[in-house]
Amino acid sequence: MKTVLKLGVSAAFCLGSLAYPALAEDNIVKIGVVAAESGSFVSAGHTLPAGVGLAVKQINDAGGIKVGGKTYKLEMVKRDDRTDIATAIAATQELVRDVKVQAIFGSETHDFTLAMAKITQPAKIIHFAGNSTLAKILTPDSVKPGGEDHYLFQSEPQEFQRSGSTASGVLTLLEPLLGYKPKKSVMIVGNDATGQFLSSYYFKALKAEGQDVPDIIFYPPDTTDFSPFLTRAKSLNPDIIHFWYNGDSTLTALPQALELGAAKSYFLFGVDPGIWKEKQLSADVPVAMSCVPVCWGESSNPKAKAYFDAYFAAGAPHGVTSSVSLLYHDYVHFLAEAWEKAGSFDPDKTVEALLTLHHQGVVSDDLTFNPTHQVTHATEVCAAAPGGDISCSMQQPPAEAPKS
Amino acid sequence: MIASRQPNGSAISALRSLLPVLVVLALIALVPLLSPSNRFLSLAISAGINVIALYGLSVLFGQTGILSMGHAALVGVGAYTAAILARDLCTGFWLALPAAALASALFAMIVGIPSLRVGGHHFVIMTFAFGQLLAIVLTNGGDYTGAATGLDLVGPVTLFGADMSDLTRYYLMVVAFVAAAAVASWAIINSPYGRTLRAIRENERLAASLGINVGRHKIGAFVVSGIFAGISGVLLAHFLGHISPTQFASFPSIYLALMVMIGGARLIAGPLAGGILVAFLPEVLNLDPVQSRIVYGVCLIAVILLLPEGLIAGVGQVFRRLLASGQPKQEREELDTASTTPSEVRR
Repeated sequence: MKTVLKLGVSAAFCLGSLAYPALAEDNIVKIGVVAAESGSFVSAGHTLPAGVGLAVKQINDAGGIKVGGKTYKLEMVKRDDRTDIATAIAATQELVRDVKVQAIFGSETHDFTLAMAKITQPAKIIHFAGNSTLAKILTPDSVKPGGEDHYLFQSEPQEFQRSGSTASGVLTLLEPLLGYKPKKSVMIVGNDATGQFLSSYYFKALKAEGQDVPDIIFYPPDTTDFSPFLTRAKSLNPDIIHFWYNGDSTLTALPQALELGAAKSYFLFGVDPGIWKEKQLSADVPVAMSCVPVCWGESSNPKAKAYFDAYFAAGAPHGVTSSVSLLYHDYVHFLAEAWEKAGSFDPDKTVEALLTLHHQGVVSDDLTFNPTHQVTHATEVCAAAPGGDISCSMQQPPAEAPKS
Repeated sequence: MIASRQPNGSAISALRSLLPVLVVLALIALVPLLSPSNRFLSLAISAGINVIALYGLSVLFGQTGILSMGHAALVGVGAYTAAILARDLCTGFWLALPAAALASALFAMIVGIPSLRVGGHHFVIMTFAFGQLLAIVLTNGGDYTGAATGLDLVGPVTLFGADMSDLTRYYLMVVAFVAAAAVASWAIINSPYGRTLRAIRENERLAASLGINVGRHKIGAFVVSGIFAGISGVLLAHFLGHISPTQFASFPSIYLALMVMIGGARLIAGPLAGGILVAFLPEVLNLDPVQSRIVYGVCLIAVILLLPEGLIAGVGQVFRRLLASGQPKQEREELDTASTTPSEVRR
């Protein structure tokens, strides 16, 4: 019994020793990042601290930010959520209450972000997340002063905009390569929260472009054998199969689709032309690709090259979703500008400044947030011809959602 | 069974297994006095919520010998019950508790009736399939279940007018629930019902020949484990404020089974040890998920081969042997005998 008691006391003290007080330093503004740097979502997760970290370095190298007559340096405090919601929540609690960050970026996983917002919003922490699914909760009521999501910002366009610009770009770029106007499309989509949400918008966007979309085929996450889904798609004789949305799964599915001859052309959502080139992929049919939001392997965006040169020089790996870093990088600069404009770190004044600023970023020269805290910008779409030539174009989003 | 043979010492003997757990929990409840980080408190709350479900799993697996690989699904039923009741009927935390416990128990019964007809490995596969099935149903449940996006849960948790949403208060509340789960599990283990379950575990045919309705008791054990899981689900839903189907699919179920096996399913301290170990090992050793899974796998193999009664029973044996080494020969032999058959196992 005594031994057990000693064990218990030791365990309690050992666990308690994990505790540590928050450190506060003068002239340092801490920015938190919660992202999957390990686990199943690592592919997108590692782009988040890489993008934020680059922006922090650029701002500090330029002398920091001037707020209220005082100069501040930024410090990124990142936490790995291990693609686990309990760890993401613990990391957010730590960053908000212990580290006392002024703002949080992340996570790239939709349901993690929603649970994180339950912590950041009552604590009045400015929270940026590149999840277009946030549209479900960012309403005029929820973002108004005193609303439950007043300090939450969506750093990715609304899904009808992203889907609209992507669908338009894919059809425009594939038409000359096919030699005729494509009419029939089939979507193959990962059956998870993001896939379900995104596909409903992309389906409407394709219909708005006059496409006949006889089926949306859902596959379970982590599928490696796509043949049943591709056989089903092939039976519908589509002009285009649209692989939506997981870039890693798409790269697994494409060779199987090409071998099966499932369609006359393909669209790979979230696969960068850089990966297409690095992996020396080729196809005997046209293949369109899109990037979220700007491509690194080939781009029509004049600022993209300088950004990605700096991004990869900082040590970030070339990945399918490296461009996702831009959903965070630009908003660190945007936030810094808002603090300077507000002349204060007061969250309410910062929100006011964020809503009135027009920021010049890499993605766009005119980044603004709408009244429901959502950004608007173009999406880049590229197409690889059967010969290997890749052409890209920035596709502007539609002004309004298509009527269903 | 010592408790039956020595009625006068049975209460003390039974309490000896519970008391250390309550002492450890009391010490754990004092941790906020050390001003721990909020990260620690948050992880501890998640671990505690798991431990409550593990106490139910220990009744099922440790006492009855039935391993469920779909236990997270029962936690999910509780969590979704709380979220749907809060959304549709504005039901608060305390009313959601019995409702979710009932819903999870009912689901356990629905799953248990066909599944337990097969038993053994087939039951494990059926519970695994149930976990996957529930995730699919929730994912495709439209607005009612929030589909793959899941459901938000709003509204504070209050106790006698105090807001329990504060992290430290929620931590203390979870510790209290863990203590209640431990006591409930202990009470079941030391009741005639617990002895019946162990009789089924040791020899189903013999138990049946003694007039025990094996099927009914196995379903009963599954239902009891569902009650623990339902309560765990309510605590989880209110803690996170948002739930989604992936949290209750098969992989979290495997983790729960792993925790109870590593800690020791037959001992009252086992679920507590397993829950804490699996929750904090990656944190303390800074392991990524891949490394964690390797460590858990190695731990599981080591436990199965070297400590079949779980880590706590193994640690107990080592201490008994250490104590015995300083005793006269006769006492040492008595302690050695005790160490090979822990009191809970002998029962």
